[in-house]
Amino acid sequence: MFKISFSWGQAHWIVPPAVISLLVVLLAAILIRRAVRCTKKHTPFLNFKAHILVENWDKIKLIGTFLLLFLYPFAMGSIHFLPASILFVFLFNILFCGVDTLAMVAQGGGLKNEGVRSLLVSLAISIVSSTLIWYIFGHIFKITLP
Amino acid sequence: MTFSITYLIMSFIGVAVGIVFGALPGMTATMAIAIFLPLTYAYDLHTSLFLLLGLYVGGISGGLIPAILVNIPGTPSSICTGFDGYPMARRGEGEKALKIGITASFIGGMISLGCLLFFTPPLAKVAINFGAVEKFLVILFALTVIAALSKGDMLKGVFAGFLGVLVSLMDCYSFNSKFRMVPPALQEYMYGGFSLLPVLIGLFALTQIFQEAEMGMKENAFQTDAFTDDASKKFHFSCLKGQGINLVRSALIGTFVGVLPGVGGSAASLLSYSQAKNFSKHPEKLGTGVAEGLIASEAANNGLTGGALIPLLSLGIPGDSTTAVLVGAFMLQGVSVGPLFISQNPDLWHAILFGLLVANLFMFVLMFYPIKWISKIINLPKARLYPVIILMCVVGAYSANNGNMFDVWTMLLFGFLGYVFSKVGLSAPSFLIGFILGRDLEAYFIEAIQGSQGSLLCFFQRPIGNVLWLLILASIAFAVWDSKRTKQVNHE
Repeated sequence: MFKISFSWGQAHWIVPPAVISLLVVLLAAILIRRAVRCTKKHTPFLNFKAHILVENWDKIKLIGTFLLLFLYPFAMGSIHFLPASILFVFLFNILFCGVDTLAMVAQGGGLKNEGVRSLLVSLAISIVSSTLIWYIFGHIFKITLP
Repeated sequence: MTFSITYLIMSFIGVAVGIVFGALPGMTATMAIAIFLPLTYAYDLHTSLFLLLGLYVGGISGGLIPAILVNIPGTPSSICTGFDGYPMARRGEGEKALKIGITASFIGGMISLGCLLFFTPPLAKVAINFGAVEKFLVILFALTVIAALSKGDMLKGVFAGFLGVLVSLMDCYSFNSKFRMVPPALQEYMYGGFSLLPVLIGLFALTQIFQEAEMGMKENAFQTDAFTDDASKKFHFSCLKGQGINLVRSALIGTFVGVLPGVGGSAASLLSYSQAKNFSKHPEKLGTGVAEGLIASEAANNGLTGGALIPLLSLGIPGDSTTAVLVGAFMLQGVSVGPLFISQNPDLWHAILFGLLVANLFMFVLMFYPIKWISKIINLPKARLYPVIILMCVVGAYSANNGNMFDVWTMLLFGFLGYVFSKVGLSAPSFLIGFILGRDLEAYFIEAIQGSQGSLLCFFQRPIGNVLWLLILASIAFAVWDSKRTKQVNHE
């Protein structure tokens, strides 16, 4: 009972099954505890809206962040680090400041238009930050960049 | 250690950047260190440590600014700072509150530095005699301590820790070159498993960005009338009169909490605040804007900085999520932390002590005098900062293995996982500590049973090992008792 057969050929598969078994037991205990609590309080076991997302969650910003982050590595692979970074930092700026600024741009009014000013700030930040990071990390510190 | 002016410059930059990260709610010292870790490629470990320790101290200290001025803790470790700091700011005593907090932070940091200096070498000397059995049990103890301090979520705390262990084992086992739990398509990239740097950047930087995006990147409202020119509302060192015991007690509580693996600054702040209330002559005044509560929280969270380094440098076990990230800096330079660290790397040990001292001094100078101007940091728009941080995250992850796009995907995966963890109540720091200790846990286990020809009794036949078993059982018993107590309190 207190002895396990040990051979180097199988040594890689001694600890993982023990950890997996422990995790299964812990997960079962967590789920059972939750089920008991929910039954006592008459609350649903899983309410996706209430348990997973915060109230009034920002759909555009959250989904947009996932999407842009997913596309960014592909862009770096195809158009290289600096152009891809300028483009994506610009897009992230627009996304995080609110895509409604784009609608404001359509109203015209040049630099007096808040949307135009926001876009220009986004553009400036994306060009300056990407170029600075590319230069400082890639050229001064000699860190390999995508 | 040969002194270089570069050390001071790096420490200064680290503290300044750390304060910015700490002062912006949502950004933490851990995030700052994770993002700046790739710079350690460009510098030697001594120089890098001054930068990283500066980020650590600055990041923890900066959290008091929004806690006092807008009642939002900049970092979890400032959770109780706003209880008394914010009411003071509302009375126009913002500058006084900030300076009390900064002074308490400085003193807390210095006391914890003293503890680090005096307690780490003896602990390391004891640990040098540890064999594989004791080392395995120390790691097991660290994982059970995570459970004991998970505040009512004991099962989830242990689950997160052991999930981290399991994920760390997804690699090619070095002794027989066999892959485990790795899909064939990924074996080309995962010979050494997931790299630490992308994992921690994902868990601590990207997760935060996802959470902020979900909440719409809302900016903070600044308490504009927090500063007045009224001389009676200004800071004098006499404000600290009668607070000596509170300062020392809080700093020691913070240091002690720091020593316990997986317990963050929020626990230090909460524990110290509740003790200040217990020992106070006027407990009813705490929470209404008195220096006592503010000092308790800030001395404790900076006390954590030295405390969290004690188990890291003596046993190789990180005390909190930030020191877990610091392990990455050592790993990147091929230096292993553990009982032999001080004897084999006396230069690095002195660099750490000196780095912490300099960082605390810079923190005090940088924050105390120009605090009115520094406070404007909290007005920096997150919507403009986060895109740049994403860019730095990608660069950091990519450079983890000298240019590998798989590490960027790893970062994205763990960013998403960290976001899911936050939704289901799993602790990312516990996961990270399990991830960092997982391979050592396995290595010591295999070494121990190899020495005993497969007999598991070897874990119960050594005196130090039996003491460690008692500690493990005590921490589990405490976890069960604390879980029941928390449930009772919540029920009431």
